[in-house]
Amino acid sequence: MAVPKPQRLLNLIVGLSSTRHRLTREQIRDTIEGYEPLPRGASEEEIRKAEQSFERMFERDKKELRELGVPIETVEDPVHGDEIGYRIRPAEAAMPPLDLTAAELAVLSIATDYWRGAVLDGAAQQAVMKLASSAEHGPRVELPFAALPAVSSDAFGTLVEAVGERQSVRFEYSSSSSGVGTRTIDPWTVVLRAGVAYVIGYDRDREAPRTFRVQRIGGRVTRIGDPGAYEIPAEIPLGALDGSGDVKTARVALRPESGHGLRRRGTPAGVDGGWDLYDVEYAHPEDLVAEVLGLAGARASSPRVTSRPR
Amino acid sequence: MAEQATDRLVRMLGILTYVERHGDTPFTELAEHFGVTVDQVRADIDALWLASEPGDSWYPIDFSADAFDADVAALVRNDGVSQVRLSPREAVALVGALSTMGAAGALPEAGTQVLAKLREALAEPVIVLGDDAVDGRVRDALVDAIARYRQAEVAYVDALDRRTSRTVDPHRLVLIDGHAYLECYCRRAEDYRVLRLDRIEDVTVLDGAVEHPPTDSAGFTLTPAFTATVRIARAGRWALEDMPGVRIEDAEDDVIATFDVADDAWVAGRLLTVAPHLRSVSPRRLVDALHRQATAVLDVQR
Repeated sequence: MAVPKPQRLLNLIVGLSSTRHRLTREQIRDTIEGYEPLPRGASEEEIRKAEQSFERMFERDKKELRELGVPIETVEDPVHGDEIGYRIRPAEAAMPPLDLTAAELAVLSIATDYWRGAVLDGAAQQAVMKLASSAEHGPRVELPFAALPAVSSDAFGTLVEAVGERQSVRFEYSSSSSGVGTRTIDPWTVVLRAGVAYVIGYDRDREAPRTFRVQRIGGRVTRIGDPGAYEIPAEIPLGALDGSGDVKTARVALRPESGHGLRRRGTPAGVDGGWDLYDVEYAHPEDLVAEVLGLAGARASSPRVTSRPR
Repeated sequence: MAEQATDRLVRMLGILTYVERHGDTPFTELAEHFGVTVDQVRADIDALWLASEPGDSWYPIDFSADAFDADVAALVRNDGVSQVRLSPREAVALVGALSTMGAAGALPEAGTQVLAKLREALAEPVIVLGDDAVDGRVRDALVDAIARYRQAEVAYVDALDRRTSRTVDPHRLVLIDGHAYLECYCRRAEDYRVLRLDRIEDVTVLDGAVEHPPTDSAGFTLTPAFTATVRIARAGRWALEDMPGVRIEDAEDDVIATFDVADDAWVAGRLLTVAPHLRSVSPRRLVDALHRQATAVLDVQR
């Protein structure tokens, strides 16, 4: 009777985890329950077919387990020539011990909604299923919180995997300074800011770290070269994304009963005729300018920026 | 559609790890905890039991047969099989969503705790930037009102800088596009509304009970009035990337952005910030709004 696939995958994990050194493809085929050993006394044609069918099955299993987070290592052994073997280090494959409360598990389930219908949807749900084994069992906890799905693209998912594998990527990018062009980068990390996704990495052509807004990537992200091809620096430069570093102050003049948001953030700095003066901190001048210009037409009482943001 | 093999594998490993940590566990509890039927739990345990090392030499997982017959999972032996750690995608999905909720100010207390646990267990899988701009007293008061089904009076400044006081039936705090919102029924508007938390200046919890139930169709109630098409030099692109439903195409040295406009005055203010880069704006209605906005700005700067 054929062994069901989940059973076969479990046996593959058990086998690769328990091997002292490694298992070659042949050993996997012949000893792991779920794969078909080569039929005895078969014709050459039958053997070739059986080999092909094993190869297809094993490649798919290996890919699915790796996507699940199981670190299947490739082990080469000079003694056995070019035959490749595989193994899993159990300590690296196991989920670290986490004790989660029922309320914490409920929050995780809300977090999956953030990706619903988007690129990490399946991954988020799979993650919650994994963490459910670390959670206490309790009555269902209802929390008055929710997350609506983020806008995301397949490019983001590919970049996340490339960061995990330390594998270079290539994509078409529409830059505000240099237009559309092909970029080749070693991705270091993905960044989320207020729901907007970025990737920071080493730009191979410009020979410097660069930040890319994922939304500006056109089409597919292609992984190139081998995994583990570069090191990720301990300190990743955030560049323009870091708003905390360089805070300046501008003085704005507001008509009474206007600019409520600016008033709340700012410090009163006296009055000037019919204007209330406020000092407001800002990191990005264009954001402050946008906020001030946005107020202009909303009411007759418009604000003005008295010291020019630079 | 049949269940994915890896989904079932993850649940099987989950059941194994759960029983290992919690001791003998009735099938009914496992079924409830993992969201499947008791029959499915039985089949999963059967499958775990059959796991074998190469060559059928050794069965690393063993359950008590007597307990199994009584619908209880009692682990006799587990030789090193455990749940699999999170993959990079899974780690980014959870840590990214929780941190974004936290940065926006829409993360409950339990979320802060679980995020700390995940961060400790995983290498930082994603960097999340942004400061929680929500007043803690505002959030606490709303959570309190929601928990006790009380109405609340909120002082609110809308996107057009209009300050209002509204009595609302508060329902949930929701993360939308990276910002925290209050989903509520607004008695002033006599309709469901979402209010941005960082624009709520003050909250008073009232004695009156909530009368309007939450609606499933909440979310943005702003209905787009028309679709705008703006051609702009690449350098001004950033100002349009956050527009609702925006589509941006490259066109030589420019980009062409198409997006929905709910409030033309607000959009006009946004366009003014990149005015030197604008190449063309349509429809006429948005051009007129842009003109009014520019005139208003010039009048006060004069």
